[in-house]
Amino acid sequence: MTNLDHGKFTRVTTVFHALLALDVFVLFFTGYGIMFNDELWWLVTLMGGNEGVTAIHRLVGVGLIALIGFWMTLMIVTPTGRSNFRAIIPTPEDAKAFVQDILFVLGRVDQRHPNARQFAGYDADEIPLLSYVGKGVIFIFSVELTLLSISGLLIWSKTALMGFFQTKTAAMAFVVFHGLLGVIMLMGIMFHIFEHGFHPAFYPLETKAFIPREMIPEDHGDSEADTTGIENLTLSPSWGWVTSLMGFFVVTGIVSVLLGSIFDEGYPVPRELAVGGGPTNLLLTIGINIGILVLFVGLVLSLYGNVLRSRWERQIEQERDRTTATDGGQRSDD
Amino acid sequence: MTSEYPETSAYGRVAILVSALVGVVLAVGSVWLTTFLLGGSAGASSESLFRVAPTVQDGGVGADWTAGNTIPALDFLIALIHAADVILGVFILVLVFIHWAVFRRLASRMRRPDGDRRSEGIATDGGREPGTGGERPTGRDTDAERNGAERGNPEAGSGDGGDRR
Repeated sequence: MTNLDHGKFTRVTTVFHALLALDVFVLFFTGYGIMFNDELWWLVTLMGGNEGVTAIHRLVGVGLIALIGFWMTLMIVTPTGRSNFRAIIPTPEDAKAFVQDILFVLGRVDQRHPNARQFAGYDADEIPLLSYVGKGVIFIFSVELTLLSISGLLIWSKTALMGFFQTKTAAMAFVVFHGLLGVIMLMGIMFHIFEHGFHPAFYPLETKAFIPREMIPEDHGDSEADTTGIENLTLSPSWGWVTSLMGFFVVTGIVSVLLGSIFDEGYPVPRELAVGGGPTNLLLTIGINIGILVLFVGLVLSLYGNVLRSRWERQIEQERDRTTATDGGQRSDD
Repeated sequence: MTSEYPETSAYGRVAILVSALVGVVLAVGSVWLTTFLLGGSAGASSESLFRVAPTVQDGGVGADWTAGNTIPALDFLIALIHAADVILGVFILVLVFIHWAVFRRLASRMRRPDGDRRSEGIATDGGREPGTGGERPTGRDTDAERNGAERGNPEAGSGDGGDRR
């Protein structure tokens, strides 16, 4: 196996992942610029003020529905897609993997469960397509994205919704529902960024979701190693302090948006009359801005993943050219 | 040892195009249908409409909100999502801490950047020797070194005696 490990995503999946990430990041920046406008006033100003930010949010929201429609159709009409359904069904082994992760942290076991491993190394063939976290991410994000799309469509025209319910606060309640629903995904994405950006074997980015499987050579040698081989990888010099800092940022970001969502629902009167959106203090402002910083890091890492794919592609081409030149015109992978 | 690129069953070109078309139709259609069904217009910004309400005494931003949400079902939905936010938020935090700790333990089994394979993390996780933990390393360095170059790690095949001390 390569140190790129068990890359099992097709090219379409990697491209879809990149587009979805870009789309969702923009939705977060605009959506939470609106909801946490007290704390993220600069972000709202940066994106064209109140009208600019809602216009971008709507436009990118349409893009999200298109991406969801594309992916659902592809999963249904293709055999590869249908076979993926089986791969994402949670099993009892996933629950065991979660428990074993806790035991691993406590030092009670020496290895992570195969359903938990991100770095599989020599054991890549034994590792399922998705870890227990990966399956959870797909399920929660699928439910979230569906509900967010539906509620987003409902509040597309708030004036119409106000007319329908004959009350202004009802329409605003839908807006609040939409924003609070997204908070779960916002927190989940922060964890997702940490999980796939700061694994010591992959730092600064796990390339599984960026480099298609077809571009990752498989080892068909006689190696019978029963080790992942992680002990042979060299830890990046900056991993320690960068991961500590990002871990701190991720925890701060999650806690802050969680607290912010309780106190600051984004609109003056969601449930009770509380003009001003609740307590806004310096700590919460800093915390929510740190959360947005984590998302920016995620956006940069996502773009970096595509740069890596491009470099990887070029490297493979060069290797193929070299092979062609030395073996008399036969490509080694033909 | 041989290495080759796998035969992967990718998605067909036609399926991709059809799916993309369905996606676009769904996106545009759903927006059109929503505005058509509800009979509103996205052009009217409710934020602009109600930002300032001069008809209310001492009018200002948000001043026209004279009552909270009065529909119990919506009120319940918001309370429900608040609860979901808190419960899942705490669970996500647990996942972050678990992974943070897992990463630290795994990192302690990797080679140090300065070439020393020992790390302080070993002593704290039970005093095992470096090659007996992590994501199931067993310290079989002969295989590891043999495959090291292919795994893209220039140091893997350097033959420094593995991580046993």
